[in-house]
Amino acid sequence: MTAKTHQKELERLKSLQHRAFMGGGEKAIDSRHSKGKLTARERIDLLFDPGSFVELNDLAESQCMDFGMDKRKVPGDGVVIGYGTINGRIVFAYAQDATVLGGSVGTIHGQKICRIMDEALKVKAPLIGLNDSGGGRLHEGFFASKGVAGMFLRNTAGSGVIPQISCIMGPCAGVSVYSPALTDFIIMVDKQSQMVITGPKVIKDVTGETVTLEELGGAHVHSTITGQAHFVAKTDQDSIEMIRNLLSFLPSNHEEMPPTYACTDDPERKNETLTEIVPAEFRRGYDMRQVIAEITDKNEFLEILPKFAKNIITGLARFNGNTVGIVGNQPCVKAGCLDYNSSDKAARFIRFCDCFNIPLVNLVDVPGYFPGVKQEYAGIIRHGAKMLYAYAEATVPKITLALRKEYGGAVMAMCCAGMGVDLMLAWPIAQLVVIDTTAAINIIYRKEIQNADDPESFRKQKIEEYDYKYSNPFHAASNMLVDRIIEPSETRTQIIKGLEMLKNKKRPEPFRRHGNIPL
Amino acid sequence: MSEKMLSPLSGKIIKLNTESGASVKEGDEILLIESMKMETPIFAPCTGIVSSINVKEGDNLEDDDLIAIFE
Repeated sequence: MTAKTHQKELERLKSLQHRAFMGGGEKAIDSRHSKGKLTARERIDLLFDPGSFVELNDLAESQCMDFGMDKRKVPGDGVVIGYGTINGRIVFAYAQDATVLGGSVGTIHGQKICRIMDEALKVKAPLIGLNDSGGGRLHEGFFASKGVAGMFLRNTAGSGVIPQISCIMGPCAGVSVYSPALTDFIIMVDKQSQMVITGPKVIKDVTGETVTLEELGGAHVHSTITGQAHFVAKTDQDSIEMIRNLLSFLPSNHEEMPPTYACTDDPERKNETLTEIVPAEFRRGYDMRQVIAEITDKNEFLEILPKFAKNIITGLARFNGNTVGIVGNQPCVKAGCLDYNSSDKAARFIRFCDCFNIPLVNLVDVPGYFPGVKQEYAGIIRHGAKMLYAYAEATVPKITLALRKEYGGAVMAMCCAGMGVDLMLAWPIAQLVVIDTTAAINIIYRKEIQNADDPESFRKQKIEEYDYKYSNPFHAASNMLVDRIIEPSETRTQIIKGLEMLKNKKRPEPFRRHGNIPL
Repeated sequence: MSEKMLSPLSGKIIKLNTESGASVKEGDEILLIESMKMETPIFAPCTGIVSSINVKEGDNLEDDDLIAIFE
């Protein structure tokens, strides 16, 4: 045996590292590039601040010798794990390498992902998963399942502790979809990623339905129909940029406050256009996103699930450089009504904000819950209750602004007085009422209208009386259900002042295991 | 390729701005639906020709009812 030298051992290390670096080999890498896709390592390089990424366990490899694995195994086992900085803050990540056995989850592959999740949880820093995997590795039998189950355990343990973001960058089927599903946000790369429980072939065999993988679980489906994909990226590069931008709004963990930025947009800026954007004629709709763009810091609104349940808007924005979560009704879609999907969308977002110390700003213009057999059968009671639960449970600062309609039970679902709102604002044109005036009068004066000499003029007179007394924010203000009626032009300023006032709001420690939200 | 336009909500058609054979641009207001005491405009999902229109003013629509087909 020849004596060891530094040089020889370094060369041996370099050779192993080179094999790990090359993953599935040059041909496989070229094939990815020709499809416009990046390799796992290229994705990692783009994600982290230049030169900051440190790879761990790059030489871990499959211990399996069966079914040809002894010849096919590669150091790294098809997944890159490690840590680095994003905008200067520590972040952990794993990136599956589809050039190695299709990115399949073998025993070591799964252990590596679990290991980096443990690390992220130990130091309480965000976890990013770049998913590109065919699923469990069949060569290794049942062993890999422990790794997959271990991911579920850790995703759940990390829920509400650290932000977890999943990027789906290739086909993702079977149990592989559930680790991302347990995380806070999913980004899908359009046309190159899909998420399904069972693929088209199994579906054809079992139910006889014919469908393509893209039609079944592509980015379009998950961003518009299922509400599973919070963001859709055009390319790999685009998706990485989205992750970096999303993280810029978030704290590293539940104990920290979100990062603040120097704001170049005047906090006292008047919102003169709001009276043009929002029609005083209640029959007419408008785009609430224009209101959000007008009042928040310029170009600082990141809409979440923009194409799913569009009748409610959820997103992260900044006021005077500070992150807030915005929940707003969207009057130009389904009249801004709440329904089962919009309730789900909002409830999950509210809870996310509450986990990570992000104040909530609620922009209300809601005519009620959308009526109909479909809604009732779909469980609007159960789904609507999630929103009530989420707002009632949230202890972050909560500011609600009534712009126009605050009607019926939907008012509570948008966080009004009595739901623990910290500051309830209203515009002068707002109406905070139980139901629409005409409907109210028809019920209250049913007999009197029938018996009146001129039922129509009697009805009209009572409507006018009721409107004057109740269909305004003044009556609510006189009962302390509204804290302050503000001019539309001072909306930005008043919200910023409110957030400033609530900055040191003391949040009680949790005193129970967890509540039992209606699911 | 044809594209179907389905009703995004239930309600009554109070205004119909197009007819069979007309050409439309993406984003044109095709009809106005009254629902929950509000007027909700429905816009063309694509640029093309209206190859068939399945509704008329005054009709009551349900969710996902076929409004028109564009070519």
